[in-house]
Amino acid sequence: MKRRSTVAVFAVLLLWSSPALAWDPFREDRLIEPAPPERHPDPDPAPFIAPPPGIYYVTDTYVADVVTSSGPVTTYSTSTIHESTGSYARVLDTVGTGASSAFDGTAFNGRRALGDGRSVAGTYYENYVLGAGGFVPVSVVFFQDDAETARLLAATPAPHVVKPAPSVPSTPSATTRPFPPTCCAARSVPTIASPTPAPPKPIRPGISLLPIGAPLATLEVLRGRAISLWPRAFVDDREVPVRSWTVIAGDPGEALVTSGPGAVPFRTSWRRLAPPGAAYEVVLRLEVDTADAGRRIVDAAIAVIVRSPALDD
Amino acid sequence: MVLTLVLAPLLLVVLAGVLQLGALRVAAARVRAAADLATLVAVNDQDEAELARSGTLRLSPDAVDVAREYFARELDLSSALLDGAADEIAGAADVAAYASAPAYDMRTGARYDRPTVRIAADVPVRTPVFGALVLRAVTTIHVLSVSSPR
Repeated sequence: MKRRSTVAVFAVLLLWSSPALAWDPFREDRLIEPAPPERHPDPDPAPFIAPPPGIYYVTDTYVADVVTSSGPVTTYSTSTIHESTGSYARVLDTVGTGASSAFDGTAFNGRRALGDGRSVAGTYYENYVLGAGGFVPVSVVFFQDDAETARLLAATPAPHVVKPAPSVPSTPSATTRPFPPTCCAARSVPTIASPTPAPPKPIRPGISLLPIGAPLATLEVLRGRAISLWPRAFVDDREVPVRSWTVIAGDPGEALVTSGPGAVPFRTSWRRLAPPGAAYEVVLRLEVDTADAGRRIVDAAIAVIVRSPALDD
Repeated sequence: MVLTLVLAPLLLVVLAGVLQLGALRVAAARVRAAADLATLVAVNDQDEAELARSGTLRLSPDAVDVAREYFARELDLSSALLDGAADEIAGAADVAAYASAPAYDMRTGARYDRPTVRIAADVPVRTPVFGALVLRAVTTIHVLSVSSPR
């Protein structure tokens, strides 16, 4: 009886059985025809930032102001070197001889004066660096382009101006006649052009990690690592004292102060990494004491690349 | 009853094996973390003199020792899992520091474009259940960790 009942129960269960289909979580996904994937253009790893109108890429870099004299002509020009430092520039103002400009006093190399005190002609340019936030102005430079003719006629004795009269013979001959004294010798007082002041030597600014370390143009620092940036300035190969400094452009990081005396470095750290391939451009404006030109203003820039230890695959 | 007596030991063996395998994976993760942390610490220790001179990051001259020391310290936290002293395991590890880049790793053939610290180690881990199941009582975990500033 038990055996029959068991067989009957199994038979009923077999008849009532149905395929137990498991729930397919992706069933609805298959019914919907997948849309063709949108083709997004690959992101540009280093997007090109077009310079604003008027700003162009610098291919000739300022070296020094040049003053040359050729006879009575003194020429004021600017020497350049054909190289690119990665900076940009735009024309601020073009001024003529003696004309004043709103940018007088802003150029780090100054604007000279002619012998009569008038300012030389030339062009003001503003320099830019391309930082993470766009074009950052870093300095103003004046390209002088002028010339003057010194009134040195009397400085060297002209043969026709004054000539000592020879001893007059008692009987003048036809061949030797006394040189008539010029009527206006007394009035023609030669004016001598004031000597052109020696051009101030260019100041080479720099930033170093140590008070006596080598100036650096690029610096790699670890994220969050505190560093001290020492503003430096050199004339020729001699270091000149920096009176004060101020951060005028760029990301100063986690700095407590952004200005200070020259004896105190710029202390800061960066907690954020710059975008890949980019760097933080920091520009310090230095007030420098020079022996020949007194107090002058120069800008020192440094590119800071913040890195962080990471695991590699 | 008979079925239970037959299947119970088998289920226990399977359960023990699964538990031992899980413990082994945990041990492997801890060993891997120890090596990763050691290389990160070593890379974070930079040559200050070189940085002041050239402005570029370069590994500290004692980067290998630093990596090995921190590897031993971190392994020591998992000493109950190890079949050996942490110092000995770290001492036998192949630690290499590539102070300047680019450099080529003679062990792995990899090219490093940044100053890099690499740890390659064989860490013996106790697996007593495997030993009881006529398998190896000690399983060696191969760990490779590479770190560089980016």
